[in-house]
Amino acid sequence: MADEIIELGRKHKAKSDSKVEEKEKGIFNTLLSKFNKHQQPEEPQKAQKTPKKSIFKDKVMELLPQGGNLNACLSCGACSSGCPASGLADMDPRKFLRMAALGLDDEILKTEWAWMCTMCQRCIYVCPMKIDIPQLIFQVRKSWPREDRPKGIRGSCDMALKHETCSAMGISEEDWRFVVQDIAAEVRETQPGFEDLVAPLDKKGAHFFLNQNSREPATEPDEMVPLWKILHTVGADWTYATKGWAAENYCMFLADDECWEKVVRIKAKAVDDLQCKVWLNTE
Amino acid sequence: MVECGRHLNVELLTLSEIIAVSGEAGDFTVTVKKSPRYIDMDKCIACGICTEKCPKKVADEYNAGISKRKAAYIKYGQTVPLKYAIDPKNCIYLTKGKCQACQKFCPTGAINFDDKEEIVKINVGSVILSPGFTPFDPSGLDFYGYGKYPDVITSLEYERLLSASGPCMGHVVRPSDGKEPKKIAWIQCVGSRNTNRTENGFCSSVCCMYAMKQTRITIEHAAGNDQDLSIFYIDIRSHGKEFERYYNETINKGVKFIRARPHTINPGKNNIGVQMEYLTEDGQKIKEDFDMVVLSIGLGAPKDAGDLSSKFGFNLNNYRFAKTTCFEPVKSSQPGVLVTGTFRSSKAIPRSVTEASAAAAEAAIMLAESKNSLTKNKVYPTEIDVSDQEPRIGVFVCSCGINISNVVNVAEVVEYAKTLPYVVFTENNLFTCSTDTQVLISKKIHENRLNRIVVAACSPRTHEPLFQDTLREAGLNGFLFEMANIRNHNSWVHQSEPEKATIKAKDQVRMAVAKVAQNYALTRLKVDVVQKAMVVGGGLSGMTAALAFGNQGYETVLIEKGDKLGGNALELLQTYKGEDIGEHINSIIENVENHEQITVLKNTTIKSCSGSVGNFTSEIVINGSNSGDSEVKKIAYGVGVIATGGKASSTTEYLFGTDDRVMTPLKFDKYLKNDHKSLQDADTVVFIQCVGSREPQRPYCSRLCCTHSVKSAIMLKEINPDLNVYILNRDIRTYGEREDLYKQARDAGVIFIRYEPNKKPNVYKKDNDIAVEIYDPILMRNLRIFTDYLVLATGVEPNDAKDLMDIFKFGVNEDGFLNEAHPKLRPVDMPVDGLFVAGLCNYPKPIEESVTQALACVSRAGVILAKQSMELDAIKSYVTEKCDGCAVCIDVCPYMALTLEEYQLNGSGRVVKRIKTDPALCKGCGLCQSACPKEGIMIHGFTLSQLKAQVDAALESVI
Repeated sequence: MADEIIELGRKHKAKSDSKVEEKEKGIFNTLLSKFNKHQQPEEPQKAQKTPKKSIFKDKVMELLPQGGNLNACLSCGACSSGCPASGLADMDPRKFLRMAALGLDDEILKTEWAWMCTMCQRCIYVCPMKIDIPQLIFQVRKSWPREDRPKGIRGSCDMALKHETCSAMGISEEDWRFVVQDIAAEVRETQPGFEDLVAPLDKKGAHFFLNQNSREPATEPDEMVPLWKILHTVGADWTYATKGWAAENYCMFLADDECWEKVVRIKAKAVDDLQCKVWLNTE
Repeated sequence: MVECGRHLNVELLTLSEIIAVSGEAGDFTVTVKKSPRYIDMDKCIACGICTEKCPKKVADEYNAGISKRKAAYIKYGQTVPLKYAIDPKNCIYLTKGKCQACQKFCPTGAINFDDKEEIVKINVGSVILSPGFTPFDPSGLDFYGYGKYPDVITSLEYERLLSASGPCMGHVVRPSDGKEPKKIAWIQCVGSRNTNRTENGFCSSVCCMYAMKQTRITIEHAAGNDQDLSIFYIDIRSHGKEFERYYNETINKGVKFIRARPHTINPGKNNIGVQMEYLTEDGQKIKEDFDMVVLSIGLGAPKDAGDLSSKFGFNLNNYRFAKTTCFEPVKSSQPGVLVTGTFRSSKAIPRSVTEASAAAAEAAIMLAESKNSLTKNKVYPTEIDVSDQEPRIGVFVCSCGINISNVVNVAEVVEYAKTLPYVVFTENNLFTCSTDTQVLISKKIHENRLNRIVVAACSPRTHEPLFQDTLREAGLNGFLFEMANIRNHNSWVHQSEPEKATIKAKDQVRMAVAKVAQNYALTRLKVDVVQKAMVVGGGLSGMTAALAFGNQGYETVLIEKGDKLGGNALELLQTYKGEDIGEHINSIIENVENHEQITVLKNTTIKSCSGSVGNFTSEIVINGSNSGDSEVKKIAYGVGVIATGGKASSTTEYLFGTDDRVMTPLKFDKYLKNDHKSLQDADTVVFIQCVGSREPQRPYCSRLCCTHSVKSAIMLKEINPDLNVYILNRDIRTYGEREDLYKQARDAGVIFIRYEPNKKPNVYKKDNDIAVEIYDPILMRNLRIFTDYLVLATGVEPNDAKDLMDIFKFGVNEDGFLNEAHPKLRPVDMPVDGLFVAGLCNYPKPIEESVTQALACVSRAGVILAKQSMELDAIKSYVTEKCDGCAVCIDVCPYMALTLEEYQLNGSGRVVKRIKTDPALCKGCGLCQSACPKEGIMIHGFTLSQLKAQVDAALESVI
């Protein structure tokens, strides 16, 4: 595919029009139907002329404020110089955006590179034109059928939905309560100066609602302690919750808006239920 | 600057700011606050003792904060006026009430701590604002670590490090450890072309060239040959005259141009040096260490732009630069208030200087009525007659910062000069051309009764007039003077051989001393200035110049070869700012043709030119093509503006000429204007930039094509948003606020594809369709674009000016563009005095710049026309007793300055023949002198005995 000449302009569209449409139908799924209403009906007197078809990038631009500046690229390459995923799958952010600009939808919608992006936003941070490449990637991810998305991310999202803890590691409320209380007790017994340290759970009206990435309670519970000590030392008024305490949200990385929202709503409700003022997410 | 400081009709108000303005064009009252200097300017002799004794050290803003200055200080060595000042924010006495060290030691009692702020009101007819720019502060771009890592510096700081008068005398050392950096990177577009974290969406226009210059000077100043210099860039914008050549030379010097942008700058080990990671165009990720990084910072609007605009009541643009139109480029929206330089938009020296002259022209037009009502003229002391005195020569050897002293051992040269015949005084100066040195030279002339002066420094082309003036002020004839060019002819070209350079400098000084001993007083002939201008070329530039002359009341003859006025502008649609050109050009044509001071001669060519500045005469041929009614006329004029224009180049590439769908930008403009229907039906338009430009046979960049194509692309997208538009380019050069158009085009979906000269587009026909094949460097794949129209940006060539070159004796550069006398200092003067150049014949440029240049010509010419009479150069031929009228010289004189006349010898009745020279026509070229077999005709200042003395001195070390 990569060695083939890329055909653009007039003739190309006239010839391959139906082919493109077929492909788009397969890939865009719901997106297409959403945008179809924007397309102009073909005027009979312009039968000779190719009807203008929105490419994937244009559709994404309609979604984003200022179109995510997706057209503004100076091709300076600052994004790609700092991208941790540059060079993987023979791709980098500038190239990805370029393909989108030239309408190589086939390729950008298929490349697994979209899943190699860490969504770290280093690209947009330095981009002279503030181009929202992360959003473009996100929309590409969204266009993938859910069942084709990477298993690891999908599995973590699904797991988070199983319990009200939102833990991608599947930690239940009981297990979570046990680990926190057990470790706190151990600190009080073994660490001088922290005899009255507490790790409050479901403390109503606490100032801070603290989230916790579930990797620590599951694999390295002692690593939660340093933060507790800091909070204890400064006398912060904080609490963990038994519901919605997990800081991670793989549904976002999966580009599954519905599940992402579900997870966020559970967490937000937990904050509200405990009437906390500040929600601290440690992710 | 020195000239400005010395000018009788320029009053300098320093430490001053405008606090209020009232009135209107022609009659403004400007209220100025003069802050106290705390040093009496009349008493200060600039000895520097106050600075020496001042205990308070503060960051030196002149050196971009790299070094320290004192609270009693001058900004830099060549400050005008050369008077010290006390900085009240930092002075210990003025802040804490103790110290007064300066007052104790000042030998003239100039310190005045009671100095008070003063409010003055000035009545003026017009105001010119040139407050400059604010350099971009990169501290906000945290990923570059400026301010955090010592070896990340701005280009302005680097400029000071490189400067001979800077904190390290031009020997660059890096801030972290004081070592000479070998491996340096420049990052372009820092604070330009950036709308994320900065407001500066414009291109600063100057950074590409200054970065190149910095690399070149770095190589020249460096101790060894192992410099490793890289410039990281987006587009290289070398769109000025001779800039593309400079770019190519810089590549040849080994400077690496890397089309990439590092993401983050990380500190090196122990915070010394830096490390950067970048992705090359071919997708390779490189991690590289550098000794130092220079951030090429942009030039933003001055900090007080808003303040000035509200005080004067004029508009700023979206970047807070003063807003003007392309047709009246230096007029602000407030009548009578003119704006120039970087206040109008970021730009380099040549255009800033041109704009300054243009603003002076606009002011002169506005104030034409009251012209000469307040001017003062300089009076020199009576010249001392030195003809009977034995020569007493003073030799001043200039270090030129370190320009000379870095290579030539100036102390040795000074010592050597003392040993030469008639030399009674010698001295070394850091800058012999500075104001204080002029005072010093004058003083030394009096103290030592010097009657001949030699300055060993730079080129007489730039500095001789200054020194001659100094001599005249000291009561000596200006021609009792010689320069030895130990910089351009020596230190600049013998950098690697300092010892030999010093020997050569001594030779040069010895020659100059030998010659000056033979020099004698010369007088300049005065000619009446013909108060009339001739303008050659009836395009926009020529017409603008004619109108500006006419509106000042000068009679003007506008000569146009063709049968109509208007030139190329007749074919253009819009300026880059969107103004309608057709409408404007028609109104200008009407104004010119109806102006009572302007005579328009169409179908007219120039046949000859005689005379000189202030008093030219030309034969012109009217209706020359129509031999039947052609008429030859003689016209006299004091000044001439050459604006013969240029034309769109043609090409044989890319199917041009074989298919109507392939066209030049001017032809495509007609479609854009008239044929929206076919463009609405079209599907694809492709532009190819640099067709025939930036290639060996036409190496320059035509400057305006990128903006033109980008503008056309935007218009296309407005006509038909669904159109596919591709612009194939080598760099996009939308300098200044034209960058906004580039952004606008990209936002509208125009696709820009870059190509290298070794991978040019391939255009062919396939089934009667036009196909363009191009390699996309980002995808590293080939694209094939089928297009309805192919527009070829073929660039601009100068119109043929060979005839005029012969007639006026001016020169062109390698590309055929008319040369200016000096690209920075005299950008519209031609090397022939009294002639000026504007428009496309000088270099490709957009309307705005042509208009500016035309106005600048009028301003410069106005300096001549303002005088009733003019002094000519004294270097002229004269006939001696030995002439026997053989007339050999007449045949060789290119200026027809010589005639043969008969007269009676001392009443003896014997008729003899002898040559007569017309000093107004003679240019002092010396052909007659070299042709004469019997010393019958000589050139003042270059007589055979003067030349012989010089040659003998030169050979002294050899024989």
